[in-house]
Amino acid sequence: MTAATSYRSTVQAEARDGFGRLLLAEWTKFRTVPRWVLAVGASVALTVLVALLTAAGSASSGTGEGTADPARSGIFDMGHFTYQPLEGDGTVTARVTAQEGGARAKAGLMIRGSAERGTPYAALAVTPGDGVRLQTGYRDGGAGGGPGALPRWLRLTRSGTTVTGYESPDGRAWSRVGSVRLEGLPRSALAGMFVAAPDDVVVERRFGSESISGEPAAATAAFDRVSMVPARPGAAWQDRGTPGGPGGPAEPGAGGSTLSGGTFTLSGYGDIGPNAFADDLTKTILTGVLIGQTAIVAAAVLFVTSEYRRRTLRTTFAASPRRGRVLAAKALVAGLVSLAAGLAASCGAMLLARPMLRSNGVAPPPLWDAAVLRAVLGTAALLGVIAVFAVAVAVIVRRSAPAITIVLLLLLVPQIVATGLPLSAARWLERLTPAAGFAIQQTVARFDRAIGPWAGFGVLCAYTALALAAAAFLLRRRDA
Amino acid sequence: MDATIEVRGLRKRYGPTLAVDALSFTARPGQVTGFVGPNGAGKSTTLRMIMGLDRPDAGSALVGGRPYRSLRTPLCRLGAMLDASAVHPARRARDHLRWLAHAGGLPRRRVEEVIELTGLASAAGRRAGGFSLGMRQRLGIAAALLGDPPALMFDEPVNGLDPEGITWIRGLLRSLAAEGRAVLVSSHLMSELEGGADRLVVIGRGRLIADTSVADLLEAASGGRVELRTAERQEAMTVLARAGATVTAAGPGAVTVAGLPAERIIALLTGEGVAFSGVSEHRASLEEAYMELTRDAVEFRAVAGREAP
Repeated sequence: MTAATSYRSTVQAEARDGFGRLLLAEWTKFRTVPRWVLAVGASVALTVLVALLTAAGSASSGTGEGTADPARSGIFDMGHFTYQPLEGDGTVTARVTAQEGGARAKAGLMIRGSAERGTPYAALAVTPGDGVRLQTGYRDGGAGGGPGALPRWLRLTRSGTTVTGYESPDGRAWSRVGSVRLEGLPRSALAGMFVAAPDDVVVERRFGSESISGEPAAATAAFDRVSMVPARPGAAWQDRGTPGGPGGPAEPGAGGSTLSGGTFTLSGYGDIGPNAFADDLTKTILTGVLIGQTAIVAAAVLFVTSEYRRRTLRTTFAASPRRGRVLAAKALVAGLVSLAAGLAASCGAMLLARPMLRSNGVAPPPLWDAAVLRAVLGTAALLGVIAVFAVAVAVIVRRSAPAITIVLLLLLVPQIVATGLPLSAARWLERLTPAAGFAIQQTVARFDRAIGPWAGFGVLCAYTALALAAAAFLLRRRDA
Repeated sequence: MDATIEVRGLRKRYGPTLAVDALSFTARPGQVTGFVGPNGAGKSTTLRMIMGLDRPDAGSALVGGRPYRSLRTPLCRLGAMLDASAVHPARRARDHLRWLAHAGGLPRRRVEEVIELTGLASAAGRRAGGFSLGMRQRLGIAAALLGDPPALMFDEPVNGLDPEGITWIRGLLRSLAAEGRAVLVSSHLMSELEGGADRLVVIGRGRLIADTSVADLLEAASGGRVELRTAERQEAMTVLARAGATVTAAGPGAVTVAGLPAERIIALLTGEGVAFSGVSEHRASLEEAYMELTRDAVEFRAVAGREAP
């Protein structure tokens, strides 16, 4: 037999091997199966629809003028404040001699920008339960130092925008508690004494629902040896009573201050600080992704499992034998498509819910607030990562029904079961499962918050990375 | 060298079954190599190992001298149709070829070229789910030809096709080989390859049974036997047996003679005065030759009857 001359491919010279071509291939695969495109569209529609239903069902619960700044609607700024103006730098000192109102009642000194609600402040307070604490802003935390035993000397010093707190058992040996910077603290500030107490809150959690009822608690405290530097002889002490908190209308005449023989007695209602029981309106509007994600998960899983079922995976690997790259391209395309869908869904939900909320007397969340923006963009990223997670699980499992079930179980069940569990157990469930990713939608630090927005998102990303690594390993090892 | 598919000592085990064992053969350029064996003989497994889809337990498969998985633009080296039904039914035929061209890094124009080449132009805009078997085969072949590769593999390409389709594929395979490509075609029916293949690789139970040219195989299967037509069967058999031939009755008035050339038979019979009406060299059909070869290697035998009481 004569050896024929070998044929040479006429295309070889033009053929290019690159990741970009692989991405284009996977995108072509995705967009040419109409039902997958439809599923992604359905996910957007479902998410927006749920947002509209939620908005339609929302009603104003009487937040007064309805300031909707989430950094403020989720706060308390109540209690009683007896003050004098403080021009520029200065110091206020007092001794707390008696205190009533429970373990978390606060009695101490405060420097704040104005008597307006929600202005920047620094408060140094004695609490029977937590000792001396320097508190600022409307989030949890703050520096602590010293026991809560009375009597106790407290001192707040303003220098520029920095406020430093000191405490002392006897007025001679002072120790520094901490200092805070108050952005936007005006030159003319207010300084004085305050009392406050967290609400008495009863939370009832039933499977699938929770009810929160609370009423402002009362606090009373006595102060003496009150001094201001620079002193303003003859300056009158003024009172800031309990203005309307987010929970209800103000109670006029609640609390007040008396001065007798150098001893001030303050009494007031309510707390100053974060409102751990505020509604997270943004998160509520974006709840629809819980339903929208099902369509995304289904599309992402089928994007993979159909290749097993139709045996096109062999064709894919024939064209591109480097399997890790194929997985990367597939995950990236599924992730980007879902990210785009998520962006359309979350922006659509927020924008379309606005007029509805307004007509119901509820001020919509401001779109340019950092927390709201994080929730909206985070929801899109959330769907993107969920799609990548679904792709990885689908590669591991190889069959549609089990893969979809596993992914949805991991994402949905923790959130459903959590409502029926004791809070401590629910928190761990929402911290340790991929469902933690939904924390990115929080705009209010609520009492039942299990994990911070970014940390929660990180947990989901970690699960996704783990699943991707396992998928890549199996894909390389297994016969196609 | 570029257009050769080479298999060296390939072995693959799936659990307790040895699917392929110590298999070696070469498909050379310019030839259609038939890859034949009963169902379950390990043909498809071998093809998957050549393409790097399944990992062999031992041995190697080389395409143009290199393992498939090390090729950078493999569609330009080896085109394959493993399974014509491996298409997403909701995808249009043209879109199927498009993603494949992207994945293989091939220029976009190739899609239209192979559609033209396989006569799919009128069906390219339709969803593959509605395709007949024949059209799916054409789509599979179009996919295999996308990279215009010097080596091609087709797994059971004519299985279930109508005679017109079979003729088309045979002609196509021949012309591809005539261009200097190596063409490896698997089939479980030898008759499908008759007149289509230059060389045959026959396997059974995962092992190589024969690696030969079609002519040699027929020669061997014919075994130098001669068919003799005679009215005096008994006498003829006696005479020839005495001369050392193996003689078997092949029906009334016909005997098959082995071990003696035709001229010698004619001389003997004429000498003894036995009348005969014809002497002819026996030509085995390809199917017959194949049955002969694979008799022991057929995987699934009808044994159920024996088990029953």
